[in-house]
Parts: sequence; structure tokens; C-alpha cells
Amino acid sequence: MTPPGSDLGRTGLTAVLGLLAAWEVLGRLDLSMFVPPVSEVAVAWWRLLGDGTLSRAAASSLVSLVKGFVPAAVLGVVVGLGMGRFRTVRYVLDGWVNALMSAPLSALVPILIALFGIRDTVVAATVFLFSFFVIVVNTLTGVRGTDRALVEMARVFGAGEAALFRRIYLPAALPAIMLGVRLGAVQAVKGMVVGEMLISLVGLGERLIYYGNTFLITELYAVIVSVLLLALLASQLAQAADRALVRWK
Amino acid sequence: MARVTAAPAPVPIVVEGVSKAFGAVQALLDVHVRVGAGEFLGLIGPSGCGKTTLLKTIAGLVRADAGRVTVGGRTVAGPGRECSVVFQDFALLPWATAQRNVEFGLLLRGAPGAERAATARRVIAKVGLAGFEDAYPSQLSGGMQQRVGLARALAVNPQVLLLDEPFASIDEQTRRLFQDDLLRLWSEERKTVLLVTHSMEEAVYLADRVVVLSPRPGRVHAVLDVPLPRPRESSDVRATAEFAGLVDGLWKILRKLQ
Ligand SMILES: Nc1ncnc2c1ncn2[C@@H]1O[C@H](COP(=O)(O)OP(=O)(O)OP(=O)(O)O)[C@@H](O)[C@H]1O
Ligand SMILES: [Mg+2]
Repeated sequence: MTPPGSDLGRTGLTAVLGLLAAWEVLGRLDLSMFVPPVSEVAVAWWRLLGDGTLSRAAASSLVSLVKGFVPAAVLGVVVGLGMGRFRTVRYVLDGWVNALMSAPLSALVPILIALFGIRDTVVAATVFLFSFFVIVVNTLTGVRGTDRALVEMARVFGAGEAALFRRIYLPAALPAIMLGVRLGAVQAVKGMVVGEMLISLVGLGERLIYYGNTFLITELYAVIVSVLLLALLASQLAQAADRALVRWK
Repeated sequence: MARVTAAPAPVPIVVEGVSKAFGAVQALLDVHVRVGAGEFLGLIGPSGCGKTTLLKTIAGLVRADAGRVTVGGRTVAGPGRECSVVFQDFALLPWATAQRNVEFGLLLRGAPGAERAATARRVIAKVGLAGFEDAYPSQLSGGMQQRVGLARALAVNPQVLLLDEPFASIDEQTRRLFQDDLLRLWSEERKTVLLVTHSMEEAVYLADRVVVLSPRPGRVHAVLDVPLPRPRESSDVRATAEFAGLVDGLWKILRKLQ
């Protein structure tokens, strides 16, 4: 991200402000009930935050997000490393990963509901499914892209398989892994909303369904904005981790 | 803290009847080379004739299809502690500072942290990079990166130093300075050195003997003795008629190979 005050940062801010202004004007024109002015959305957002609706929903969402995403990240990296390093693992898993990577995962949520019942566990599982594969594939790509010359160099100095893994493959794949984690974090928020909307029980997704069904459009927008903010936060956090870990780039 | 380990005595390299094919490509065919203990051997030959393959076979990175390599009497079956390698493309860890890169070989060989740091600092100073310990490879010039590669190879105090075109990507001026540094280091701590090069002048300037490989499949085509007096780094060897005559002799051998 660009530091605030930089030219790019200022351009970005101007763009956002312009968009908000356009939204406000469009809303004031009263073209449709589905486009409320942004100021009203902001007021609704503030009210929902104040009466605890948003914070309760967001808290539940966040818990599902963490419960799904952390295992997805850890397992995704482990599976990706394994696939990258061992041909047998790659042969066994490649087809599955590719198929599930491009499958419409929302279609699997009913199966998850059948498995877990209508519970918040389904949301965590959906989060996992949405974020897992992109992390696997990016880790795999990172490992496969490791410079052969570095591997030979390490072997000359006596590296065995474990040392190669720890000292060469892992650090070489780290930028790709962190990219996967970033993309995975955004996917995780998507999975969270999809899961919550489908089970319609908890979290921000449930609020989306509720306000949508009851035509409380301003409140609906307030929740959408919250989801966007959450996605932004997740991506920023992942980016910060990336910067902290991959300082040499 | 710097524990100055006595340089282990240099050991000979013996390559006996080594052949190596990559699929249909016969890279080396029945190669015989002996490098005496403490000798500086140059290896020259047309591009793609198997110089790197031979060097990697000695380093234990490539397994020969036939024949045998011994380093100090030990038959090479994999990378061993005697050899270290300076790679043509540097092979530096992009995520590690110069200091960490130089420490890397020591780290893999299990040296304790304090000794690692001290040895690396000493060797970095020796190759003329003092002050650049905390620089990442991307912040260093090609010549400086190659010096880091050399420092890393020297840090483990090997008995055998294998250099694969270490000066290929360096400008002429830096190259000459670097060549002299290498000769000085070599005269300080005698090591058995095998240097792959494309440059006839470089081979003659640095080596005791120059082995010429034929085009693929690589085999030993000729061996040229270089009886120039040492130390060469502080004299004007390059300006002598003897030097010119040796380079010309090498050229005559290589020309017939093309
Ligand atoms: N790992 C490999 N797989 C397949 N072919 C290889 C491999 N390594 C080398 N070769 C082939 O073997 C031959 C000799 O390669 P080598 O790198 O040893 O040549 P070289 O003399 O070092 O060439 P150059 O002077 O260009 O560095 C080449 O034809 C090369 O394509
Ligand atoms: Mg080569």
C-alpha cells in the first residue's frame, strides 16, 4: 500500500471521495428505492453499530472467518509444499485441487449443511473451502518455481532434504505463499458471506438476507459496506504480514 | 572470537574415465583429468562441451554414468566437505543479506552462530566487501555479487575450490582486480583450484595447467603447461612475450576445435 500523503495515496483518496459524491447525488435524485443516498447509509450504519446489531453480526462473522481461514492457511501451505516437493503427492492431489479450484463452491454448501446441520460450523467450513485451494495452488507454484541453482548450491554445502525444505524451498516460495494468503483472505470473506446467507442464521450474511427480504434497503447497504470493510481489513492484514515476512523484495 | 582454523592440507582430484549423458546428449565421454594437491587448473573448451557438467560431477552434484571421481582419495558419490563451488550465476539467496549468504555454507555445516558471524565478516573483508554485510544481493553489482559467492565458498575453508566461469559477467576492469585477488588468496591458503573459463588470457594468467575439452561429447583434447613464474599478480606477466606465446598456443589448439 502507498503511504498516506503520497501522490498515489492522494489519487486513491480523491477517487473514493468522487465515488461517494456521485453516489450521494444519484441517491438524492431519488431514481429508485434501491439507491439510497450514501449519507443515509452512513447514518443507518452508525445506528446499527450503536444498537449492537452490526457488532454482534460482525463478531459472529469474524469468529467463523478465523475458524475457517486459519486452518485453510496452515493446511493450504502444508499441502502446497507437499505437492510442490513430492511428485507422488502432486499426482494424487493435482486433479482434486484443480477441479475444486474451479468448481462453483457455493454448490457444495448444501452438502456442508447436510453434514453439519444448520450451524455456524457450516460457515467456517465454507470459509475454509473458499480460501484453501488458492493458497494450495500459490504455494505449489512458489515451490515449483524455486531456482534450481539455489538447490544445487545448498546441496554443495551439505544440505539434506530437511535443510533444503527449510532453507531453500520455504523462503523461495514465501512471496508466492503470501500472495496466496492474501487472495485466500479475500476469498475467505466471500465464503463467509455465502455460507451465512445460505444458512441464514448468524453473522453479516444473515443480516443481508434479512434486510433484503424486508426491503430495508438502507440497512442492507450498511451491511454491504461492513462486508466490504471487512474484506479490505482482511486483505490489509495479509498484506502487512506479507511485508513483514518478505522484506527483501 | 574469530577462530582461525588452520587451512587443511590441499588434496588432489582424480577424474578417471568419466562419461555422462543427458538423455540423447552425450555431455562427457571418457574424461581423464588429474589435479594435483594445491594445483591451479584451468578448464577451457567450446560452449556446451561439458565443462559445467565436469565441475558438477567433481562437486558430487551430477552422478557420472561411467568412470570415477576421487577427491583426496574419497570416491565422490555426493557433495562432500572437501569441495566448495563458486557458481557461474552466483546462486545467492535473494532473501538474505551478504553476511547471511556468506554464513550459509557454515550454517549448513553446523557451525555455531558466533563463529559463523565472525568467520563471514573476516572473509567478506578479505574479498573487499567490508561495509556491505547488510546489503541484499539485489543491491549489489554483478561483480560484488560474485565476490559474495566467492566469500561463501571460502568461508567453509574448503580444500578444493571449484569455480565455474566466475568472472564471466564482470566488466574487464573489475575482472582483472578480482583475478589478482583470487591469486593472492590462493597463495595465502593453498587450495586445489579448478577454474572453468571461456577466456584464454584468463586461463593462462591464472592456471598452472590448462585442460582443453573438445566439443560435445567433451573429452580431454589437450593439456597446456603454463610455466609462468609466480607471483603473477604483482608483476606485468600479461605484457611478456612468454604470456602472449602461451595464449597464442592455446588459441591455435582451440581454433582447430571450432
Ligand atoms: N541437467 C541437464 N539436463 C539436460 N541436459 C543438460 C543438463 N546439463 C547439461 N546438459 C547438456 O549437456 C551439455 C553440456 O553442458 P554443460 O553445461 O556442461 O556445458 P558447458 O561446457 O558448461 O557450456 P557453457 O560453456 O555454455 O557453460 C549441453 O549440451 C547441455 O545442454
Ligand atoms: Mg557452463
